[in-house]
Amino acid sequence: MSNNKDSLQVNIKQHKTVLHQPQRTLLESIEVHQIDVHFHCREGYCGACRTKLLSGKVEYPNFPLAYIDDDEILPCCCYPTTDIEIELA
Amino acid sequence: MKYTTFNQINNNPLTEPMFFGNPVNVARYDQQKHQIFEKLIEKQISFFWRPEEVDVSKDRVDFQKLSESEKHIFISNLKYQTLLDSIQGRSPNIAFLPIISIPELETWVETWSFFETIHSRSYTHILRNLFGDPSSIFNDIVENQEIKKRASDISKYYDDLIFATQLWQTLGEGSHTINGVTHIISMRELKKKLYLCMNSVNALEAIRFYVSFACTFAFAERELMEGNSKIIRLIARDENLHLTSTQHIINLWAKGKDDPEMAEIAEECKEEATQIFLNAVQQEKEWAAYLFQQGSMIGLNKEILCQYVEFIANHRMSAIGLGQPFDIKSNPLPWMNNYLNSDNVQVAPQESEISSYLVGQIDSEVNADDFGDFDL
Ligand code: FES
Ligand SMILES: [Fe+2]
Ligand SMILES: [Fe+2]
Repeated sequence: MSNNKDSLQVNIKQHKTVLHQPQRTLLESIEVHQIDVHFHCREGYCGACRTKLLSGKVEYPNFPLAYIDDDEILPCCCYPTTDIEIELA
Repeated sequence: MKYTTFNQINNNPLTEPMFFGNPVNVARYDQQKHQIFEKLIEKQISFFWRPEEVDVSKDRVDFQKLSESEKHIFISNLKYQTLLDSIQGRSPNIAFLPIISIPELETWVETWSFFETIHSRSYTHILRNLFGDPSSIFNDIVENQEIKKRASDISKYYDDLIFATQLWQTLGEGSHTINGVTHIISMRELKKKLYLCMNSVNALEAIRFYVSFACTFAFAERELMEGNSKIIRLIARDENLHLTSTQHIINLWAKGKDDPEMAEIAEECKEEATQIFLNAVQQEKEWAAYLFQQGSMIGLNKEILCQYVEFIANHRMSAIGLGQPFDIKSNPLPWMNNYLNSDNVQVAPQESEISSYLVGQIDSEVNADDFGDFDL
């Protein structure tokens, strides 16, 4: 299972680089480090967590309903599949 | 173009625009031009709830404990929400259904409106519990100047579109004089009215509700009016889907993924759309001032509520390409998120284990093996 990958790096622009936690969503991995990401639903349908993906790839086990632009991701329901670089809103 | 309830032209719905193409004929969902609306229908139906299932009886005791200024805040917000859902329970149907051209969007609008009627019914449930006879509260909605001011600003975009559509459907494009007033009806003007109306609907669901949501959840933070809070959490969950749907519609247009003329109109009307949002923000701030005119409530005041409106507006406006007009960068009411988190909809956030609080502890999770031969 690809969202099981270990030691993928999440480089958060203007913050720090953190490690993605296997089996956790990207949002949960970031919150472990006390970095605030905006959220409401945590289930992919409200768009509150919309974040810019500067490089790398993520995947969604479930089709996310919220609107996002081509260069944006929803941390609450996505899992990195490579090292990624993001910019929080 | 005259509306028909079953268009006999054998058209291909996959090539129709969302609006102002052929009227829909077969209600089929095996194929979709815009799959997102089918997904939204499924999600919304999975959210089905009944107001009567939420026990609000304890709220009656709590309500008696509130100060006069807190009662004013609580009741005024319910009045305002009643107004918003009265409008939303009918207007998407009346304004959009006659001009929609794809079945998945038609059914989404019907599903969406149906849930607004659940919201309206829940206000009666809440108010009947508090007052027995809530007539005076409902009557005041059409008397209260503060509410009426907002009502006309919200309904005017719908009313404009509905009236122009009626003229177009009966008389077609052209210049029509009715009761001495001349109306120019062109497809371009109709589409502009539709574009502005959709922005106004998005502002309504994405911003206007949040002042009253914040007050409700501030009461709940003090463990007051929790039945009401539970209902409002269910409503907020639905509203999140609704605002997502109108964001999709607006962005499908703007990105040229539907009707190319709507992409031009989006560009042309950007200023006006921005103004719709800024007006909504301004009105919500005035609403906050009205709510707190007799005194504030614990945990909330006018200033912080105004900041929260700006914070939410930045998020919502940037989602549809209108930028972030306000300076505020961090959430002034972080506890709000716990009430808007779908995991917490069925339980009180202060009773539940909130995942965002818990993730800090994942490293210390206990494994089954750690218990060794411990017998359970
Ligand atoms: S928090 Fe709602 S989409 Fe991510
Ligand atoms: Fe509603
Ligand atoms: Fe709604």
